[in-house]
Amino acid sequence: MASTVAATQGSVAVRKKNRNRPFVQGWRRFSRNRLAVAGLAWVALFFIAGIIGPWVAPYDYRFGDFLAINQGPSWHHIFGTDNVGHDMFSQILFSIRSALVVAVGATLVSFVIGIVLGLWAGLTGGIADAVIMRGVDFMMTLPGFLFALILVVLLGRGYWSLILAIGIPGWAGYARLIRSLVLGMRNGEMVEAATALGASRAHIARRYMLPNVIGSMAVSLAFGIPGDLAQIAGLSIFGMGLQPPIPSFGNMLAQAGDNILGFPWLLYFPAGIFAITLLSFLFVADGLQEAFHPKGGR
Amino acid sequence: MAVAKFVVKRFVQIVITLILVMTVSYILMYYSPGGFMHTTVMATALAPLQSQNPVLYQQVMDQFQSRYGLNLPLWQQIVKYVWHTLTFDFGNSMQNPSLTIMSQLKQTLPVSALLAFGSVVLSVVVGVPLGITAALKRNTWIDYVVGTVSLAGQAIPSFVLAVLMVLLFGVVFPGILPIAGWGSWKDAVLPVVCLSAANIGVVARYMRGSLIETLRHDYIRTAKAKGVKYWPLILRHGVKNSLTAMITVVGPQFAFTVMGTIWVEQIFGIPGLGKVMQTAFTSFDYPLAITSVFLLGSMIMIMNLLVDILYALIDPRVKL
Amino acid sequence: MSEPLLAIDNLHVRFSRSEDEVYAVNGVSFAIGENETLGIVGESGSGKSVTLMSSIGLLRENGKITAGTAKFRGRDLLRLRPKQLEDIRGRDIGVIFQDPMTSLNPVMRIGDQIMEAMLTHHYAGRKEAFERTLQLLNEMGIPDPKSRFRNYPHEFSGGMRQRIMIAIALACEPQLLIADEPTTALDVTVQMQILALLQELRDRRGMSVVMVTHDFGVATNFCDRIIVMYGGRIMEAARTDRFLRATAHPYSLGLKRSIIEVGHKGKPIVPIPGAARTLTGEPVGCPFAERCSFATERCSAEAPALRAFAEDHEVACHHAEEVVSLAR
Repeated sequence: MASTVAATQGSVAVRKKNRNRPFVQGWRRFSRNRLAVAGLAWVALFFIAGIIGPWVAPYDYRFGDFLAINQGPSWHHIFGTDNVGHDMFSQILFSIRSALVVAVGATLVSFVIGIVLGLWAGLTGGIADAVIMRGVDFMMTLPGFLFALILVVLLGRGYWSLILAIGIPGWAGYARLIRSLVLGMRNGEMVEAATALGASRAHIARRYMLPNVIGSMAVSLAFGIPGDLAQIAGLSIFGMGLQPPIPSFGNMLAQAGDNILGFPWLLYFPAGIFAITLLSFLFVADGLQEAFHPKGGR
Repeated sequence: MAVAKFVVKRFVQIVITLILVMTVSYILMYYSPGGFMHTTVMATALAPLQSQNPVLYQQVMDQFQSRYGLNLPLWQQIVKYVWHTLTFDFGNSMQNPSLTIMSQLKQTLPVSALLAFGSVVLSVVVGVPLGITAALKRNTWIDYVVGTVSLAGQAIPSFVLAVLMVLLFGVVFPGILPIAGWGSWKDAVLPVVCLSAANIGVVARYMRGSLIETLRHDYIRTAKAKGVKYWPLILRHGVKNSLTAMITVVGPQFAFTVMGTIWVEQIFGIPGLGKVMQTAFTSFDYPLAITSVFLLGSMIMIMNLLVDILYALIDPRVKL
Repeated sequence: MSEPLLAIDNLHVRFSRSEDEVYAVNGVSFAIGENETLGIVGESGSGKSVTLMSSIGLLRENGKITAGTAKFRGRDLLRLRPKQLEDIRGRDIGVIFQDPMTSLNPVMRIGDQIMEAMLTHHYAGRKEAFERTLQLLNEMGIPDPKSRFRNYPHEFSGGMRQRIMIAIALACEPQLLIADEPTTALDVTVQMQILALLQELRDRRGMSVVMVTHDFGVATNFCDRIIVMYGGRIMEAARTDRFLRATAHPYSLGLKRSIIEVGHKGKPIVPIPGAARTLTGEPVGCPFAERCSFATERCSAEAPALRAFAEDHEVACHHAEEVVSLAR
């Protein structure tokens, strides 16, 4: 096998760039993970349900049919009804939307704050860096939920308040990640080597830094959404989440706890769907992590 | 001796951090409309009391005024607040103004602590052997099962699991284990298991990963060359070196276990800190609510401290 | 030679990689007797470490021994059960490895690590093992053994750690010591110290040493006999003095010429052209043929067998006679 001489390496690299090899490789690795793919399918379904849910729902979630209270699953009400006559299926459909809105919103809020602070820390260094990192350490020792609880007290319990209450305390993980990515890129040996070979800075940025950065951030976000999903549910169980008549998983779970002996379906469906959704997000996130940063040898 | 110095140093750090947090949160609340020290907020919260018993209501409001020094400048309020908290003088609850918060919490704190620490112990006792097994039987069905189960355990928040358990043991198999109340040791079983589920997963996973990584190291080869037998090799050379990597990841997780007690207590009807906290929040009993959050936070910090100490004890390279 | 201590016969070892297989060792046979020092020299990838590691059962997971025997005092190590091998390792055969920085358990006190060797093989009771450990530490030149017993590896320098490794290897007074690149990872001055130590120990205890190294100078200085390996095969095997005087293999000659000799200022350093390849197929012909200046067509087609060239001097080359005449 003839060895490639360094001079031709450049042109070979240019030709291959168009195939975006890191992403193709990553996707291939991801698709091999059956759990992750299954999770992805469910997540997609979840998002679709969230978006078109209210239009597709057979009944209006706000009104209960007093003639049909506490009915088990049937043709009219696929998931049964509760003690006020709400159709559980519609309620769940809408809960998906409310949960998604808050979870995704909160994750984005955390992400944005995290990027800003992380960039500041990584690019500026010095005192800003030290202070921000201390902040990160502190935030990471205490669960964000505690802060969220307090913020809910301050901000109230509407959509925006909840998004902020959950989102604001979540900045730490992202900040730390961005900062380490920034530092890695500035000092990386890969960059030195590539520069030594004469690659332009844009070339370096695109071929080496971007795949790494995007991969890490995608994984981080993928783990962030289920985390925030769990938080909003947790808050709701506590009574500090979205208030009725807006349905949410947490509320359903909390109520079901009381009614469980007589009306178990009030529990099965919300709990089941919530659990599956959470699991799916996590499988996807796990799959992404394996795809971009493979370890644990085979 | 170095350990003692370390503990003291960290303890002081914790206290300072808590003071900082309290100051910041007090300031935040002072300037936000929802802050509990604002008379309007308190008035709203106490509204039912006002209509029922106006005299008592006035008493409570006055008490409230003097306690927090609402007519004093901000910095004095902060000092008052911090001082009260540090001396465990939490004041009176709002729902039952005749009771002090301290008395309400005194009973509940040990309960929650028991659940939290019990769950930590269970997680380690079950998780570590699982992780070791998965690592040693790599890529066999055992490994796969452990991996999936641990991921599932990690995924499902403890409250969902708790609810499912209530379903299982309350409806499907009633009578085997109690699902509510707090009388005998049996009541602790299900809650502790729920709390541990996630952690067992995490512990097993990282124990496995860490052990696999460790077994690749040169000193394992040296030990083999010495003729060390299988189990001493795995345990003394492999596992012992894997523990630190695992603790690094798993340690912080235990903080979430403490958090988890909140919901689990509610669902299983256990009179712990969580239950109190929940009632406090929903009835807008702010002093009680904030205090319980504060206590919870402290418990978590202590848990982290314990993990750090453990860390230092296991790995001699760690500088205290 | 009386019954050899370790006799390896026609050993073949292969490694499976994801796409192909690496033929690491292809028919290696040699023996070492009592009180002998044998040096096995070769480049990275020549198969020298693999040969010895596989004979004592320390082969990597993806490797398999496809043929051959490795007899220690007449018992074939390759046919033994793992438990029996464990008994021999550490007690009858000691091993020291290349990198002292990573070869010691970081969370175990070094004294305990030395004692472990003795306790595992029931060589001595706790108390006796403790005393012996202190003695060993002394012998290795580690000052203040009593307090340093309780130290951890990271509290020692590289040279010290290597001494500790040697102490561990010698704890149960093995008959054979295998030293796999014992000085490669050390600074030059420390190298000298360790080699001197090994020499002293060898003389005093009368044990046999197999030293695997890519450092030609170290091998020829330290060992009674030299074996040169390339491409998983033995190219030449002889007593050191004869080896240096009458080098009979082109590769060995190349090695000899490529070291810098003190005192010969004007002498040019002649490197061996090309680079060693990893063998991924069943080897055909002499593995060195493509880099050899003596090579002919016959060399690429027919692998030269290891033949007796002179007294106690074996060579695997079709053109050995030519080479020898040049060396003079």
